[in-house]
Amino acid sequence: MKRSSKLTTPNVIAGSRRNFLIKGGLATAATLTGMPAMLFAMNNEARAEGDPIPVGQCGPTTDFAAPDGIEFKNGLTLACEEINALGGILGRPLEPSFEDTAQMGDATNVQAAQRLVDRHGVHAILNGYNIGSGAAIQEVAADNGIIYVHYDTTIGHNNLVKSNPDRYWGSFQGDPAEYWYGPGFLKFLQQLEENGEWKRKNNKMAVILSAGVYASNIANAVKEQAKSYGWDISLFETVSVPASEWGPTLAKIRQDPPAVICITHFLPADLGQFALQFASNPTPSLIYMQYGPSIPAFRDIAKQAANGIIYATVVGALQDDIGTAFEKRYKEKFGPNAGHNSGAQPYDGAYVWATAAALAGGTGEPGNNDQNRKVAARMSAMIWRGVTGTTRFMPLENAAYTYPTQVNDSSLGMPHQFLQIQDYTKGPGLIAPAPYGTTKFMMPPWIKA
Amino acid sequence: MDVLIQIVASGLTLGAMYAVATIGLSLVYGSLNMLNMAHGAILTLGGYICYAAIVHAGLHPALALLAAALVCALVGLLIYFSAALPLLRAENFETNIFIATIGIGSVIENLMLKGFGPYPIPQPLAVGGQVVIGNVHVPLQNVFILGVAIVLMVAVAILLQRTSTGRAIRATSMNREAAQLMGVRVGRVYAQVLALSGALAAVSGIMISSIATLTPVMGGDPMLKAFIVCVVAGLGNVYGAVIAAIALGLLEAATQYVLGVRWSFATLLLLVILVLIWRPYGLFGKQQVVRL
Repeated sequence: MKRSSKLTTPNVIAGSRRNFLIKGGLATAATLTGMPAMLFAMNNEARAEGDPIPVGQCGPTTDFAAPDGIEFKNGLTLACEEINALGGILGRPLEPSFEDTAQMGDATNVQAAQRLVDRHGVHAILNGYNIGSGAAIQEVAADNGIIYVHYDTTIGHNNLVKSNPDRYWGSFQGDPAEYWYGPGFLKFLQQLEENGEWKRKNNKMAVILSAGVYASNIANAVKEQAKSYGWDISLFETVSVPASEWGPTLAKIRQDPPAVICITHFLPADLGQFALQFASNPTPSLIYMQYGPSIPAFRDIAKQAANGIIYATVVGALQDDIGTAFEKRYKEKFGPNAGHNSGAQPYDGAYVWATAAALAGGTGEPGNNDQNRKVAARMSAMIWRGVTGTTRFMPLENAAYTYPTQVNDSSLGMPHQFLQIQDYTKGPGLIAPAPYGTTKFMMPPWIKA
Repeated sequence: MDVLIQIVASGLTLGAMYAVATIGLSLVYGSLNMLNMAHGAILTLGGYICYAAIVHAGLHPALALLAAALVCALVGLLIYFSAALPLLRAENFETNIFIATIGIGSVIENLMLKGFGPYPIPQPLAVGGQVVIGNVHVPLQNVFILGVAIVLMVAVAILLQRTSTGRAIRATSMNREAAQLMGVRVGRVYAQVLALSGALAAVSGIMISSIATLTPVMGGDPMLKAFIVCVVAGLGNVYGAVIAAIALGLLEAATQYVLGVRWSFATLLLLVILVLIWRPYGLFGKQQVVRL
């Protein structure tokens, strides 16, 4: 029987399916030899021609977090197009809708999520992050019996789900909680010393944070465990946001130079200014920053001063076959400056959910708790290897395991990646953890051997 | 000694940033009794226009600065024709224009988000190099911003005190109806002040973005700090605003070093409360007596 080439929205398949997969470039070999092949196989040659499945995302597409919010939207858009090209979910295409959460207060987040349910009847909310308590949209998901996948990176999610697993069965945090940044960083330093790549000049560590749950939780985790790794916290400074003038803070650092400066504040423009102002009169301190240096704007602002700076992420696209193929597809579609690391979050989240839904026999509309519980059960049981590494959820907490701090098997946890900017004109090098590292640690230029 | 030099250098940098942001806001409030809540967005627009003129149009930085000032002056005029003029004829002008300019600011901010994208961009109009005092390295850009703030203050002072336009502005600020009866074309004064304030905001935006980088929402913080400075100085007092801005910058830097950065904004707000209790009309403001 001849198939009609006219498809329901979104129409992404041009010509024959086989031709599209081979020539279209969307589903490359890397995609189909990876986990999406499972979804493709389950779809059993079905084309995404059935009734669309509404999915939603509420993210910060305006205001200060818009750089990430727009990438979250891109990430879900790309995932939906690819999943539809693979046959959707058992032949039903995904149809995404988006709501803006701007400054991401809990009230705004909840209203945006509820609008997705009321206006579009979404079967799942597939987010990046929203700064807030990290424990509000779960209420919308629970009340409506739908699946909610997010990358808020907050221990608040783990605690909420643990408090009442029977209510929050449908809420999943696709990455590890921010808490793990703390012990993960201390362990990373320990390994640098054990490998003889760097030696501390003293036991002092300066911790600089901004007033917010995320930055505070990471800073507190470092502070709590520093002693057990032989560190004394010589400065614990909370900065106001935005922070363009770092003079007084740098004066304190220069008065009592620490071996390590750990900055858990994350805005790239502020961190770029720190790097510039530090570089004019540096102390022999290893500098570790949070997240901000992953945004290309950080390197544009700091220029040479960025060389040598280390940063980490518990969720980001890996620099391996799967990750780099994703980066290529992403940048071809959204432009060379698009931030694929942020887009990778809802991208992986969408695939985890879609594959689980196909395994469970389909998705459920709001109120169809029975079907969505089956999807949630499949998600809980799944080990998904995506562009950000392995997603495996902790039982009763529905948050991803982190490797190597929480599990020591790289196939069972999401890699806590440590990257270093070694040449600001190029992308950063992934220096840890093994086996994902692609570059060796470089002694920062301001530290003399 | 180095610490003291660092505090003074940081304080002057912060003060200069607050001062350039405050001049336009203070001028509009002092002259028109109008709190322009779109000031932060216009300031940001100025930064972006300068960036686009240098990077995309290849203009010389001086021409780019002029282009930004011109565009933002036109935006000021647009605010006059689209919001201030219609609202002037209605009651409760001060409240209505306050709300209207919040909306205008939001529209400008979102247009910048659409036009320039959400990512932070470094401002290409910047002065390189640094001066070393003791062991403290002070970027020349910071010194440049302080210089610009002082030049703008002097220019606005000359305009207000030595020109017929300035006299008309001062007359309108003292009593709108009386000025109108004396033949001052009040509508034109409003248009002139809003255009001038727009141009000043553009220069402020370029200066601030040169050390804080360009983002569509970068105007929010300078707007808030400018408002605090205006309240402390006395709303509408341009010279007082510059002096207060530099004093507050020095206080903020000292607080950051002595008490910690987290206390600096709280200290500023505490100071505002104390000033409002002690001198409700601001440090440099004049008490107004209303006879009934």
